[in-house]
Amino acid sequence: MTAACASVLVLGLGNDLLGDDAVGLHVAREVRSRLHGAAGCAVRETMEMGLALLDEIVGCEHLILVDAIETGKEPPGHVHEFDVDALVGRRITAPHFVGVAETLALGRTLGLAMPRDVRIFAVEVKDALTLGVTLTPEVQRAVNPAAGRIAAFARGLAGPGA
Amino acid sequence: MNAVTDQITNESAAPAEAADQRRRVTIEPITRLEGHGRIEIFLNAGGDVEHAYLQIPELRGFEVFSLGRPAEDMPQITSRICGVCPTAHHMAATKALDDLYQVEPTPTARKIRELVYNAFILEDHALHVYVLGGPDFIVGPQAPAAERNLVGVIGKVGIEVGKRVIAMRRRVRELITYFGGKVIHPVMGLPGGVAKGLAPADLPRFKELAKDALDFAMFTNQVFHDLVLKNADYVKLIKADTYTHRTCYMGLVDPQNRLNFYDGQIRVVSPTGTEYARFPASRYRDFIAERTEPWSYMKFCYLRPLGWNGFSDGPQTSVYAVAPLARLNVADGMATPLAQQAYEEYVGTLGGKPVHHTLANHWARVVEMVQAAETMVALTDDPGLTGADIRLLPTKKPSIGVGVVEAPRGTLFHHYETDERGLITKANLIVATQNNAARIAMSVEKAAKGLISGHKVTEGLLNMVEMAFRAYDPCFGCATHTLPGHLPLRVRIHDSAGAVVREIVQE
Repeated sequence: MTAACASVLVLGLGNDLLGDDAVGLHVAREVRSRLHGAAGCAVRETMEMGLALLDEIVGCEHLILVDAIETGKEPPGHVHEFDVDALVGRRITAPHFVGVAETLALGRTLGLAMPRDVRIFAVEVKDALTLGVTLTPEVQRAVNPAAGRIAAFARGLAGPGA
Repeated sequence: MNAVTDQITNESAAPAEAADQRRRVTIEPITRLEGHGRIEIFLNAGGDVEHAYLQIPELRGFEVFSLGRPAEDMPQITSRICGVCPTAHHMAATKALDDLYQVEPTPTARKIRELVYNAFILEDHALHVYVLGGPDFIVGPQAPAAERNLVGVIGKVGIEVGKRVIAMRRRVRELITYFGGKVIHPVMGLPGGVAKGLAPADLPRFKELAKDALDFAMFTNQVFHDLVLKNADYVKLIKADTYTHRTCYMGLVDPQNRLNFYDGQIRVVSPTGTEYARFPASRYRDFIAERTEPWSYMKFCYLRPLGWNGFSDGPQTSVYAVAPLARLNVADGMATPLAQQAYEEYVGTLGGKPVHHTLANHWARVVEMVQAAETMVALTDDPGLTGADIRLLPTKKPSIGVGVVEAPRGTLFHHYETDERGLITKANLIVATQNNAARIAMSVEKAAKGLISGHKVTEGLLNMVEMAFRAYDPCFGCATHTLPGHLPLRVRIHDSAGAVVREIVQE
């Protein structure tokens, strides 16, 4: 179990070996340098997913997830922003995976301290299936602006003094 | 040796070029892992199903990424590729390093590896039983869609059970972390041993965990009884012809032909259940070949000595399956007493061996949980587990190493070749879902054939084909970080000219 129970948790998700899939990790690192220890804010990165996220998010009040997304409807580098409710109602179709919304629902059902709200920032990827440790240029260019936007959002949630 | 590997590659490449005429085909030289799921269905001129398969996009560039890296990095690299079964990749890679450096792990090191591995199998299977397969069997195939999810499962088995599943999962991960650091970046396996031993003072908590794991596995066996086996409709569904294929099976067995997850020889049985082959991992290329089809992106594994006899079951088939159902078919029995009891009931209820019912994978998984837990108990009771001698240093020059384990989803091969300095010159993986690809295609096709006729598509197609492949627990793990976190299942139906005539998407 991760100890920090910050009021705002920025959690970057991704796989650091899978090209653009790592964009959430890159953005989270940038957010950390921008927040540099702002009161009530914590920034973490994880390569885990599904139920493993329960360990990360228990106890935080506001959760901000940063992830990669592939909709094919926006150009690579586009930052999608939505609340977790947008994912509710989707059922499991990938046989070995539990989605974020379902993980939250499970946590609440089991009486765990789940975040009150979850905002998701997701960067449209170009290639998240080729092994490699660099982002494609379009996605790389999105990292700094996304980090700025997320840091501002996190400060807003944490309130004065953050 | 290289010639054989090259041959596999070339065999695959030729038909792939034909496929290229119609659609873009991504054929990387060696390795494919898994990503998004898509069902492709091809109709003939009469509008009936000609072929169907589950398409899983390939993770590209594994071999290129590996070239020139120290072989010792492979257990870390491969465990990072897949967030679903990092421990299986870590262990298969570690065993490939043992083989590469021709060094046997010390007895204590082997016990530690087996403890970690059996704990991992228990956790992963529990996750499938309650979370992923649960919606099909614990909640039920006829339940409303809104209830067929994780919260629905908890509703059926109770919150306390939900808490137990989560707690067991966390404790198993603590065990893995104790020996290897992070679950996704484990630094446990080294050629000839492990990086960290078990301090005698820490043994009691792992003994306790093993005991609780066994309680939990037996409890799960009971849950399966109460909710599934007492329901005649479920048993009928398991035995339904739609979900039955008479194929060959592959899995690891110990010297007494009992099921083993960590080590042993690979045994293959025919559709009648007789032993067809028994071989060490190093000979996998003599027995496994891969084939591409002009209508598919996938490569389909089959038994090389038998030649390709099409997507057909019965006496002439060269298609084989891996995973729990297959493991219980290749083994003469389980390695532990309570699992053996559960196994005998399984075989008896399903009409004897081999069991050809794909949906029986769900039950076989429960039987395997019992063996994994009993093995944990036996290992934590073994005084040799806390020995200090945890590594034998390699002294020989490396050249070729092959490692195999039974991943939760089936037999997993890692194959590396290196120069004298131990730098990778060739790397190949065959993952469970690849081994199962041909049989999964047959299952999808059979379900589709029952529901499509003369261009007419019966509603309910998605649920039926989903049930057909979900039992195999095919791995989509590698790409699932990408939101929405699950992958919408997409079915495309092509006419006889290859054009898409209908697409069904389940969000």
